[in-house]
Amino acid sequence: MKKMHIILLVVIAAVIAGLLTWMKDLSTYDTVASARRKDGRFVHLIARLDRSAPVVYDPIKDPNFLSFHALDSLGQRTQVVYRNAKPVDLERSERVVMKGRMQGEIFECSEIVLKCPSKYTEDPGVQMRRYEGAGSDTAAALLGS
Amino acid sequence: MQYEGEHLWIGHLGHFCTILSLVASLVAVYAYARSTALGDQPSVAAWRRLGRVAFLIDAVCVLAVFVILYAIIYNHWFEYRYAHQHSKRSLDVQYLLSCFWEGQEGSFMLWSFWNAVLGLIVIRTARQWEAPVMAVMSVAQVFLASFLIGIYFFDLRVGSSPFVLMREEFPQAPIFRDPQYLYKYLVDGNGLNILLQNYWMVIHPPVLFLGFSSTIVPYAYAIAGLWRREHRSWTDQALPWSLFSAGILGLGIMMGAAWAYESLTFGGYWAWDPVENASMVPWLLLVAGIHTMLIFRSTGHSLPATHLFIAGAHILVLYSTFLTRTGVLGDTSVHAFTGEGSTLYGHLLLMIAVFTAWPLAWYLRRRREVPVVREEEQMSSREFWMFIGSLLNFVSAVYIIILTSLPFFNRLFGSRWAIGEDVSFVYNRVMLLVAFVIAVLTATTQFLRYRQTPRGHVRPRLWVAVLAALAGGLLVSLSGILDYNVYGAGFQAGIHITLWASLYTVFGNAQYLFAVLKGKMKAAGASLAHAGFGLMLVGILISSAGKELVSRNRTGIAVPGLKDARGKDENPLENVTLIHRAPMPMGRYEATYTGDSTDPKGDRVYFNIQFREIDSLTGVTVDSFVVTPNAFLVKGEEGTQLSSNPGSKHYPGKDVFVYITSWLNPDNIQDTSSFRMQPALEGDTAFYSGGYVTLDRLIAANRHNNKDLPVVDSAWLAQLTVHASDGRTFSAEPAFLVKDGLPAVKTDTVWQQNLLLTLGRSANGQIEMGLRETAAATRYITLKAYIFPYINLLWLGTVLMVVGFLVSAWHRVRGHVRAVKGVSGR
Repeated sequence: MKKMHIILLVVIAAVIAGLLTWMKDLSTYDTVASARRKDGRFVHLIARLDRSAPVVYDPIKDPNFLSFHALDSLGQRTQVVYRNAKPVDLERSERVVMKGRMQGEIFECSEIVLKCPSKYTEDPGVQMRRYEGAGSDTAAALLGS
Repeated sequence: MQYEGEHLWIGHLGHFCTILSLVASLVAVYAYARSTALGDQPSVAAWRRLGRVAFLIDAVCVLAVFVILYAIIYNHWFEYRYAHQHSKRSLDVQYLLSCFWEGQEGSFMLWSFWNAVLGLIVIRTARQWEAPVMAVMSVAQVFLASFLIGIYFFDLRVGSSPFVLMREEFPQAPIFRDPQYLYKYLVDGNGLNILLQNYWMVIHPPVLFLGFSSTIVPYAYAIAGLWRREHRSWTDQALPWSLFSAGILGLGIMMGAAWAYESLTFGGYWAWDPVENASMVPWLLLVAGIHTMLIFRSTGHSLPATHLFIAGAHILVLYSTFLTRTGVLGDTSVHAFTGEGSTLYGHLLLMIAVFTAWPLAWYLRRRREVPVVREEEQMSSREFWMFIGSLLNFVSAVYIIILTSLPFFNRLFGSRWAIGEDVSFVYNRVMLLVAFVIAVLTATTQFLRYRQTPRGHVRPRLWVAVLAALAGGLLVSLSGILDYNVYGAGFQAGIHITLWASLYTVFGNAQYLFAVLKGKMKAAGASLAHAGFGLMLVGILISSAGKELVSRNRTGIAVPGLKDARGKDENPLENVTLIHRAPMPMGRYEATYTGDSTDPKGDRVYFNIQFREIDSLTGVTVDSFVVTPNAFLVKGEEGTQLSSNPGSKHYPGKDVFVYITSWLNPDNIQDTSSFRMQPALEGDTAFYSGGYVTLDRLIAANRHNNKDLPVVDSAWLAQLTVHASDGRTFSAEPAFLVKDGLPAVKTDTVWQQNLLLTLGRSANGQIEMGLRETAAATRYITLKAYIFPYINLLWLGTVLMVVGFLVSAWHRVRGHVRAVKGVSGR
């Protein structure tokens, strides 16, 4: 067998080993219910901000404590605690991806990715509601209200 | 209906140009392909001429489209969707170009523009290679033009035109029932994403896109070589093009890193974000391809690998466009491209399929002719170890792109997997090992010879570099700057030995430059690039491992049970709140929020944070400086929001890096408490919970008794002294004005006492003063602060590397030109 073949085999083995260890660390996207079932396991929770519950963040008391409620697409709710500063667009977001683990009743979150209404959206309704050019008259006119 | 004030002709012209460019590039494809296929027949020249004319028309059209769209943006013609969505009147002129790259159409246009420019250069320089290479590049132009036409074929919209009008995009909107909608409603645009309002964002996208688009030239040469059965000479010109492309692409990527560092708040220059990965992977392949091409030119080995890497680099450019532009990445990327390109999905997949199938088909057709050396490489040869390095580049590229494509796989297979808890570590643990091997190879291999290296050839030449690296490495290791125990001893050891290896790269290549090349700069490209790469690694390792959290919060409430999942280190609480003018100890510094200022346009606030470094033994201030991070106020549906840009203080050896994570805009306070009003007479006293306020003087002025009062009709100003119960006093000057018969109030605030003071007039005309106490009046910001040590080594290394690539490319071009002239002169 040629040297190159040996090297290629070694390299392929290394790639497979690398990918296997990576697979071991893989996590999943979950709903509130399935995250509850995996209590203590690291998951990605997809939900949105529950606007009916208060968002608690008081930087004077503690700039590293944010608490809010998340509501997933199946209507399940959970309290979320994020020990970091409040992401600036939280209230504006339409979807929140939270990485963390369920600890009893509370979702302890280590990272938050927000999806905000995109400027490039193709839905005219959203586009027009975001229209800020000439004040509320325009927005009203655009929306036809 | 006849609409007023629209500029329709320019849009028609632009749309005409996009269609003409599509047609012209189709003609160019056909003509150049015919010219290539005909081989030696006399009509070859005629076909080639037709191809040239067609491509020239295409290039002119692309340029025209570019200029037209710029004119639309520059003139704020908001009847066009592109101007309305990406620009606004108050935007600074230097950012108008950034509006181009914010949208999908503009970035394809930029790509097409560079492709046209590169094509014109190829036409001038490629000689006998012109026809096949330009055929490939014209196909790319066909696709890029088709992204811009925005024409319906039955129900399928192909491409998206940048010249669409708002009223065509949203025909149902009621404002378009008014012929004067432009004057009444669409008077201003939505504006540019504030993160893009940064000077890096003016220059980074053009450079990056030049890098992306230039990968097609070596790709086209590779196809041309197979097509014309010239399996060796295609590399003569492909090599300098590859070097150019790798240099520019590397520069573009690192400019993006610099932008991320300066204006994003993920606290660094690289986060293994899918968008970053997608641009890095083609670069890795390109660099692998350059090395195997050099092997091939010197020894005849590695031609199939060269084809794979060079073709793969361009295909991965297309694939990365697909990943980042079609919204496939969805929730994994901070870059907000989502939802932009659902029509783009199939279109880009088709382009990838064509550009993958084409070189593959040619290779399979010619596979028996492609020269392969049967003889094995010697272990002691240069080519053997260069190949190992290239292979490692390829392997790491595969690793990165598989991980990055996970959301795409999810979409294909309906799975719901995500990269686990610590995304960066998943990459770092592999790439650290790769970096170590590459660094050792980069230094050593230059001293090896092709075919076989004689015994005792390397050792006498390399020991200086080895010793220097060992000494330097020990110095750095012992300094403790690399201490990073988050992932245990193995990773820590990896960081140390990789740093030594990187120093070895720097010294080894510096030595090669001076000892072997004797400082001949023309031939020094490779050594320069390698030394620069080594410096980059050193900078990355030190600035990442030695990254220091300054704003470690020790004052906030303790968080019991907040342990890292692996039970190792307690998660540091990274945010610190600074109350206005109250010094706060922060790591080795004492930080004070001394004030803020708003820029004249009124949408950006600069915060002055005074840092004082105090020697803990003597109490002497060692260093004092001001960092000014800034923040934008974004008006959203749910009130004003903050968007933050970091500020940093640069030292040669470190950066102090600060950004605002939370800020309460005083204008935004919705406080339920109201002012307590009382009649205001000089000498009056009013009490509040923290002390009392005296009215020292009440000044009344009006137009009759004061001619210097130009703006208002009459005014009252109260000079107040606030006596806090702890003995401190503060002064305040609220005022009450009447202008054009309308009252106005200027409220003053004593932040330290959470006290708002105002002046007013009661129903019977009596002047009153008012006090309001509020918790919300406290002015504060919340921030994070880091120190990045020796990050300048990264930037310096980048510059060296790019210069090295370009010197190399230039050197090869000159060598080639001389060789061609020599042949023809004989």
